[in-house]
Amino acid sequence: MSYIRIAKASWDGGLEKARKAYELIGPVPEKDSHKYAVLAAGQLPDMGFKSTKLSPKWVVFPQSEVMFEYTLDESKANHHILQEVPAAPGARAVIGIRPYDAKAIQLTKMNFDNKDYKDPFWLRNYERCTFVGLAINEPSSTDFSTSCGTGPFAEEGLDVLLVDAGDAFIAKVLTDKGKKFLSEAGFAEEAGADAAKAVEDLKAKAEAAITSKVSYNKIAGKTIMDLYDAPFWKDVLFGCINCGTCTYACPTCWCFDIQDEVKGTDGVRVRNWDSCMTGLFTHHASGHNPREHEWERTRQRFMHKLKYFVDKYDAGLMCVGCGRCVEQCPANIDIRTVCNTLNDF
Amino acid sequence: MADVALKIREIARELLDSEKVDVVIGFKKGTLPVMSEPTIIRKASDTKDLIWDATCRLNLCNYLTGRKDRIGIIAKGCDARNIVGHIVENKIKRDQLVIIGVPCTGMADKKVLSDLAGGEVTAYSEAGDQITVSGPAGEKTVSKADVLQSNCCTCIKRNPVIFDEMAGEPVEELSPDNRFADVEAIASMDAAAKWGYFEELLSGCTRCYACKNACPLCYCPTCFVDESRPQWVGKGTDPIDIRTYHFLRAYHCAGRCTDCGACEAACPMDIKMRAFTRKSIKDCVDNYGWETGMKEGVRPPLDTFKTDDPEAFIR
Amino acid sequence: MQEFEPKIITFLCNWCTYGAADLAGVSRFQYPANMRIIRLPCSGRVSPKMVLSAFRNGADGVWISGCHPGDCHYITGNYYARRKFTLLKEMLEHTGLEPGRIQFSWISSAEGVKFADVARTVISEVKALGPAKGMAKEFIMSQEVA
Repeated sequence: MSYIRIAKASWDGGLEKARKAYELIGPVPEKDSHKYAVLAAGQLPDMGFKSTKLSPKWVVFPQSEVMFEYTLDESKANHHILQEVPAAPGARAVIGIRPYDAKAIQLTKMNFDNKDYKDPFWLRNYERCTFVGLAINEPSSTDFSTSCGTGPFAEEGLDVLLVDAGDAFIAKVLTDKGKKFLSEAGFAEEAGADAAKAVEDLKAKAEAAITSKVSYNKIAGKTIMDLYDAPFWKDVLFGCINCGTCTYACPTCWCFDIQDEVKGTDGVRVRNWDSCMTGLFTHHASGHNPREHEWERTRQRFMHKLKYFVDKYDAGLMCVGCGRCVEQCPANIDIRTVCNTLNDF
Repeated sequence: MADVALKIREIARELLDSEKVDVVIGFKKGTLPVMSEPTIIRKASDTKDLIWDATCRLNLCNYLTGRKDRIGIIAKGCDARNIVGHIVENKIKRDQLVIIGVPCTGMADKKVLSDLAGGEVTAYSEAGDQITVSGPAGEKTVSKADVLQSNCCTCIKRNPVIFDEMAGEPVEELSPDNRFADVEAIASMDAAAKWGYFEELLSGCTRCYACKNACPLCYCPTCFVDESRPQWVGKGTDPIDIRTYHFLRAYHCAGRCTDCGACEAACPMDIKMRAFTRKSIKDCVDNYGWETGMKEGVRPPLDTFKTDDPEAFIR
Repeated sequence: MQEFEPKIITFLCNWCTYGAADLAGVSRFQYPANMRIIRLPCSGRVSPKMVLSAFRNGADGVWISGCHPGDCHYITGNYYARRKFTLLKEMLEHTGLEPGRIQFSWISSAEGVKFADVARTVISEVKALGPAKGMAKEFIMSQEVA
């Protein structure tokens, strides 16, 4: 494990060099907040950002992704053939991804890349990426990542972990991909012996600042049906208005819907983010809807994250504790309350 | 507003104890300082959870649609106007309801509060007309009037138009100088500038539909966005699809919107989509002398007509 | 360069304006061929969804025409429609539609001359505005299908 010191004065120049080998993605200001976006020529990430409303999950799982296309225009050579859209070329570096968001991508990977199924679209997006994470020195009050198997300085799913140490970033090199990124950027100054110590100190401080916790140690031991039929759901979820805010803000929500869009003689098959909050999500062609009521849909979301996933993969919750859904929910439905209610039931 | 909350609890307890209602719908304290959570109370002993303050932004009428039980409901001015609308549109029966009216002095804008606190609000309290928030910028105390949601600044009915019980003394109604200054500001732009204004306004929309789901008017069994034969609007984040969605959502509310602001309060991306609905509110006032939800038994403007309605624009 | 020829989606009520279009045709009144006529039972059937859909699919203008007030085949359909149209036109123009791109008229089945007149006026006004830019959904193919 090596540590590289990147003086902030040399940061911008390094990114410009890295741009030759990578398409860069990073946090940029948008209105009063920040979002992850592909950085245009000359554009640099704002590394002082606090949070983003949406996670960078779109990098591997875009909100709308064209999978196939066709034309019925007989003057074109390949008319009447549904063709796969070729992969975009080149490597990408996701700068400033938060540790919990990187962990979230690893959790969704279990769904898109396993022994039974390999999702070619997700995988080709994933394989292009080098994840250059940025540790969180000052976690928000809704951050409960440390109880979700990750944390402000967690390394899982990252190729490099950057730590903001005042006048410099200390880069912890985690993989060969990460090493390659740093060398493309020309960041080569070995950090002194005290770098590891400095990182550890900042890490301890950040982790200590997280006071928000959830417990789920007893959930795996309960039966699915007991939790599913628990009497509290209707009242605990009463306020939920079934918008999709939480599912879109969530870095681990992976459901999608496939749509055909047609104009004139041309058409595309698009995959869009879907949300279990909508009535249409499970609406059968017969007209029957197994999740007819609003609270049943919300129960599904929490049961999936807090029980089904736990049972299926034995990899903890399908939640990384980023706190976005808690912050953004218009009705203040709080996954921490729901999780603790399930655990104590 | 603590005395209002006490009064709400007292009325709710009495209603449940005497079995006049099966449930009471109100707000309880949220898990974040600037939030409250809509809640349903079934037992008199739980009425202690009910609160009232300037974070009770959502419109509780939204939770009434199609209910069959007898309900006690907390209603501020705009909620009460929407309840009138619900009764007119047969979404609830008047005799199912015991309306606990709350004279309202406005709701505090989440975004303004967080700007005031310099980021994340870590503590929030109210005392009389004063609001105190804490955050990275320290502790700040301001007059509530300075942090109101914009719809509350042009409110025409703070006291509920319809109620069975009142949880406070009536408050003075506002008389804003120019209620539609925002609509007129847009009207003064040329077409390209208007187009650009709405393009910028809608940027960042993720189509989560919090705006329509927070709206008591949006109760269609199948929303037009979910219709597929024909499909009126694409489901992705194409800018034209986003604009089509917002336009049609707002148009569906024409003549029915009470400007309660639940849509904007619910939006996670801080999109000010009232820029659409405000226009039809003004048009209904100008053309038909219509204010939504002020009187029971009157059909909304698009469900009626006069033979001499204005039509200067028709050839 | 070829002269711009707008596409105008035209919603006509079956009982009046469609009859007027027919009359204009059999009477051989001339007007340019920019219209794509869609026949509806009544102007009251026009939904804002149809209008938005027309623009979203590349129309440069929309023209809606029905019976004169008082003459509706369904007695009151166009009275209701009139209120819808007022709010629709206002909101469309409020959000950036150029005035002139959406047009309304009352034309009875006896008014073949008026139909041809209004058609010419609508077409020339939309033509003067030029192509509707940015209002149609950009249909993005990832690449030219070879």
